[in-house]
Formats: sequence, structure tokens, C-alpha cells
Amino acid sequence: MKRILVFAVISVLCLLMVTGCKKKDDESSTIGNVTDKPINITHWFWADNPDYSAKMQQIATDFNNSNNMNIKVSAQEYPWEGGGYSETLFTAAMGGGGPDTAAWKLTSTPLFKANNLLAVLDSYIDKWDDKDDIESNLYEVMKTAGGSDSIYVMPWNTQILYVYYRPSMFKDANVAVPTTYEEFLEACRKLTRDTTGDGKTDVYGFGMRGSTGGQEPWGSFIYGRGGDLSDFTTTQAVAGMQDFINLFKKGYVPPTAPTDGFNEIIANFKSGRTAMTIHHIGSSSGMVESLGDDVDAFPFPAGEKQWTSMGDTENVIFEKCDNKDAAFQWVAYLATGKGQEEWCKTTGNVPVSKRVQALPEFQENKFMKVSIKGAPYAGIFPILDTTTEWISTIWPNTTAAALAGNKTAAQAMQELQKGLYGS
Amino acid sequence: MHQRKGGFWPYLLLAPALLVVLAVVLIPAINAVFMSFQSYDLRRPSQIGFIGFDNYVAVMKDTLFWQSLLRTVYWVVFGVGFQFVFGFCLALILNKSFRGRGVVRSISLIPWVTPGVLIGLMWRWIYDGSFGVLNDILMKLNLIEDPIAFLARQDTVFPAVVVTIIWQGIPFFALMLLAGLQGVPGELYEAADIDGANVFQKFFRITVPSLQNTIYVTTLLRIIWVANSVDVIFNMTGGGPAYASQTLSVYVFNKANSLNLGYASTMSLLLTAVLLLVAVPYLRNLFKNQEA
Repeated sequence: MKRILVFAVISVLCLLMVTGCKKKDDESSTIGNVTDKPINITHWFWADNPDYSAKMQQIATDFNNSNNMNIKVSAQEYPWEGGGYSETLFTAAMGGGGPDTAAWKLTSTPLFKANNLLAVLDSYIDKWDDKDDIESNLYEVMKTAGGSDSIYVMPWNTQILYVYYRPSMFKDANVAVPTTYEEFLEACRKLTRDTTGDGKTDVYGFGMRGSTGGQEPWGSFIYGRGGDLSDFTTTQAVAGMQDFINLFKKGYVPPTAPTDGFNEIIANFKSGRTAMTIHHIGSSSGMVESLGDDVDAFPFPAGEKQWTSMGDTENVIFEKCDNKDAAFQWVAYLATGKGQEEWCKTTGNVPVSKRVQALPEFQENKFMKVSIKGAPYAGIFPILDTTTEWISTIWPNTTAAALAGNKTAAQAMQELQKGLYGS
Repeated sequence: MHQRKGGFWPYLLLAPALLVVLAVVLIPAINAVFMSFQSYDLRRPSQIGFIGFDNYVAVMKDTLFWQSLLRTVYWVVFGVGFQFVFGFCLALILNKSFRGRGVVRSISLIPWVTPGVLIGLMWRWIYDGSFGVLNDILMKLNLIEDPIAFLARQDTVFPAVVVTIIWQGIPFFALMLLAGLQGVPGELYEAADIDGANVFQKFFRITVPSLQNTIYVTTLLRIIWVANSVDVIFNMTGGGPAYASQTLSVYVFNKANSLNLGYASTMSLLLTAVLLLVAVPYLRNLFKNQEA
């Protein structure tokens, strides 16, 4: 009797293991034929704060209630973690899991495309009524990112980096808003002050980001001296790096700068520890909430050249998605529909939809204006198969060594060149 | 007494567990060995293929590997060493009867039951050079004049993460050694008292020998866990600044995260070999002592 019982238990366990591993294959249905069965779409996204998170959930609910094809989007949030989001997404997708659609950064495109994980969107976009509501050059940028003539990425919104500043501190230090790169460096010096008279610096001119993600504001310094991102070893690019190092060495940035990331630069700026910092419009609502009128912005000023980083956020559809038509309805809703309007109003991101751009809320926003001013010289880092590692590991560690004086600007730039371009 | 043989039943009963171990441990481990002989970089899927010992040669020439390995040795020696010393002290205290001992025992477990990711984030803010509570305390005690950016300076970052791992691991030693202490017969101490033994003699002649096996096993476990630990360092510093807090396991993690799985597998196998060099003589010595 005992043996039979044990055998039965083992059999059940084995059966459970086998059936647990079996993929559910009875969930698919096709769009076009509106059925009672909902078409489930799983969407991954990241959010910079709880308000954005709640907004995305609301957008998904609105879409679920308003679409007439019984599409049900389940929006699942994953942390950005300085780019760790893309790695999580890749791991999930390579393992056969992950979502049907996901919020996206262009830098990830070559990796996912090389592994055949993304759906080609050209045929969907060509048939789409709202195709022309998005600037055609944006589609070209999407193609360039994928390194082919096909579009794998659906535009969503952009974030142009600019300089946040505290008008009250500028007034106290008698500093005008910089209009040239040299003036910007000078402002960093003048705004670094001992305001309490105890002989210690309590306000730093600039909130430098030395951790992951810091390469974006850093790029503006390289262009400021006439360099560019195609060759870090030129005299001009090295001079830009030297400026960056000097800001740290001379104490115009907080001593924590080598490891300061997004949270630290924002906290330092809001607390009054820094007078300027560089970020995009995504953080503007939080800034205004904390500082009221005592926060404003200006485009990173021109030196020998002018450049600022264009943060981009898009959406993609995965090749494994069973209902690509339904998935496209969703990403289209985010790109030009009510989803675009709601998301950009909440986050303050620059819309890609021309209709939404023309709305008064966007035309009257001072941070939006600065973003739009920066658009003509905004760019992205070269998208190579080395870019992800370069951004997450090589840039922060090499720059930290240069800031600490363990490497000269030239040595650091050679290392950065090797890390990104291989030579 | 006659022992009934179970025939195939024991094997059948073990089969589910063995299958799970095979699926989640053995197969991935064998796969890692194969990967270490391949160019297995998912960023370059077209180049995936057998490359012999190229990864091993590249690792041997990688100065960052040697720096990380050396740092791992310091990480384990100081981390586990101080965890053991403080854990032993805590166990001895908790073995005494005093009022509120139950509460103290429970509180002392907090670092051990807190997830490593949370510990990393928590200590990151404790050490913060702008808003950190540690700087605040040190300044109020007039021990420092200006805040120290503990995690941004190459000379302070590694000691800072070592202190964190020590804090995390003390309760483990305390708990295990306390369990051992409670198994030491009280008669031994009574006999020692009659013989006129002092505190140190009792400690080194009775307590330590009685706990020998517990000490061996717990120390070995901690050496392996600490050497492989990624969460605390990764969440505090990511291995930076300028790789100053990067241990070998963090380097492996960073490489794997950047999708160079062949190179990461090679380094992880070398880390395994290093740990085996420690573990095998250690266990052999333990078993020899037990047999004696």
C-alpha cells in the first residue's frame, strides 16, 4: 500500500513538473476578427517616479477601455537602473520570455536586432493613418539605429538635455546666464561659494554626473572644445576632457561626483548643494515641485562646437508576439493617440506627434522651449555593439580614474577610444 | 539486525531531486565549461564559435582580472575574518543569561535576514558624501571637519564595502557558534573551575576545541559565499570608482551583464578553481580531525 502511495505521489509530482513547463498555446487569437476572447498584450516600461508609473497604468486602462478590438494591455514596470532595464529585457527575451511590447532606448537596437528579437514595423507604419503626424526624419533616425533600411522601433518621445539652474543663486553670485562655453565654465567657478562664512564650500557650481549615464552631459564638454564623438583622441576632445577633470580638481563640483548618478545630482540640486546640473525635461515637474519658481533652464552653450545629448524613448514589438497587429494598435496609441498626449503632459517629455506638439500646454512650457531650442544640435552616442559596456562600465571607471588623477586626460581618452571603437 | 534493501525505490525517490539538481546546477555548470572555450558574446552572435584556450589566454593577460582576484583575497580575508571574530564575541555574549536576551538575539539577526540588495542601498546612503548619516555623526563628534565621499574615493571605497559585508555576516557566525556553544557540556567548565583554570584557559582548552567542527564548516561556507557575493558591492559601487571595489565575482557579473558570456564563464571557472584550492585541503583537514 505504502509503495503504491509513494509511486502515486511521485507520478503526480513528475506530471506537474512536465505540465508546468508546457507553454500555453491556446491563448492566441488574431486581430481583425473581434472575438469575445481578449487579446492580451504584455508591455514593459520604466518610470522615473511613482506619478509616471501611475500614469502609464492609467494610459493602459484607458486604451483597454477605448479600443474596439478587445485588446487588453498589461503594463508591467521594471526599474531603469542606469540601463539595467535593457539587460533585463534582453535576458528575458533571449530566454523565450519577456513582453510583447516594451519601452525602448535606441542604443539597444543593434543587440536585439542581431538576435532576431524585434519585429519589423515598416508594413504596419506604411498602412498607418497617422504616419505623417511624426516627422519623417525621426523614422530615418530609427532606421539608422537599427543599421538597416527597416524600422524596428516606433518613435514615442524625446528628451533633450539642458542645464537646470537656480536663478536665486545666480543673482546672489552676480552671474548672468551663460551664452558661451567659456562663460559656462566661468559660472561653475563663480557659483562655487562658501555662503555661511565658515571657510567651507557649501554650494558647488555644477552637479557633475560621474556614474553611469554621465557620458551624456560629458559629451557637451568634448564638443565645447571642438572635439566630437567619432574620435576621442583629438587635441580638441582631450581639451574637453581636461575641462571636465578641472571642474573636479578645482572643487567646483561635489567631491562625490565620481559616483554621483541620477538620484545624487537631482538631490544635490534640489537641496541647494549645486547651482547647476544637466538633465532633461523628465525631471522638470519634480524640480518645480521642490523649488517653485527658483529653477530655470538654458541650453548647453556653444563653444567651438555645440552638442547636447538627445535622450530618446521609443517602443518596440517583439518578434515572438503572437498578435502584432494588436501590439501595433497599442504602440500607435502611445505614439500619436491619447497615450502620447497624456504621457508627455505628465512627464514633460517632448512629444513626437506634431498634433500634440501644437497643444498650448507644450507651447507655453519654459522647459519645453529650452528642449526645442536644443533639438537642432542634439545627437546620440554612436550605436555600436560595444556601446552598452562602454556606457555601463568603461566610461564611469575610466573617467573616475581621470578625476582622481590616476590617468591624464589624454590617457583616459585613449582608453575610452579603445573601449568604444577598439583602437 | 537485518537491513532491508530498498531495491530501486531509494533511487526512484531521489530521482525528482536529482533531476532538479541536474537541470539547474549540473547542466548550466557544464554549459559554462563549454562556453569558456567559445567566443560567446551575444553582442556579436555571428562570431559565436569554438576558440580553444583564447579566453583563458586573454584572462591571464587581463590586468583587471589579477587586480580583481587580489581584491577578492582581501575581501574574503578581512570580510570573513572580522565576521568570525565579532560573531564569536556576539555568540559568547548571547550565551550568557541576562535580561532581554531574547530581544537582543532577535535584533542581532537583522543584518543577516536583510536582503543584500537592500543592505547595499542602505549603506550607500549611510556612506553618502553629501547627505550620509556616517559623515554627520563623525562631524558632530568632531572627528572630521569636512564630509568624506567614502564611496567616491579610491582609498576609502574598498574598506567601506568590507565594513558592510562584515556587518552583514556577523549574525551568521553568532547564530551558528551560539548553537555550538549550547552543546558544550557544562560539566567541562565545572571541572575546569575545580582545577583552577582561568577564563582564557577555559576558552582555548574547552570552548574552541568543542566548536572546532562548527568553526570549520561555518568559515568554509562564508568563504565561498563572500567570495561569490555580488549584491552588496554591485548595489553600493558597481565595482567602481575606477574599479577600486571590483572583486572577481563583480567583474564576472559585469562582463556577463555586458553579454560577453564566454569571457565571464572563463573567469568564473577560474574563481571556482581558486575556491576549490581553499576548500579541498580545508575539508580534508576537517575529516582527518573527525576520524582522529
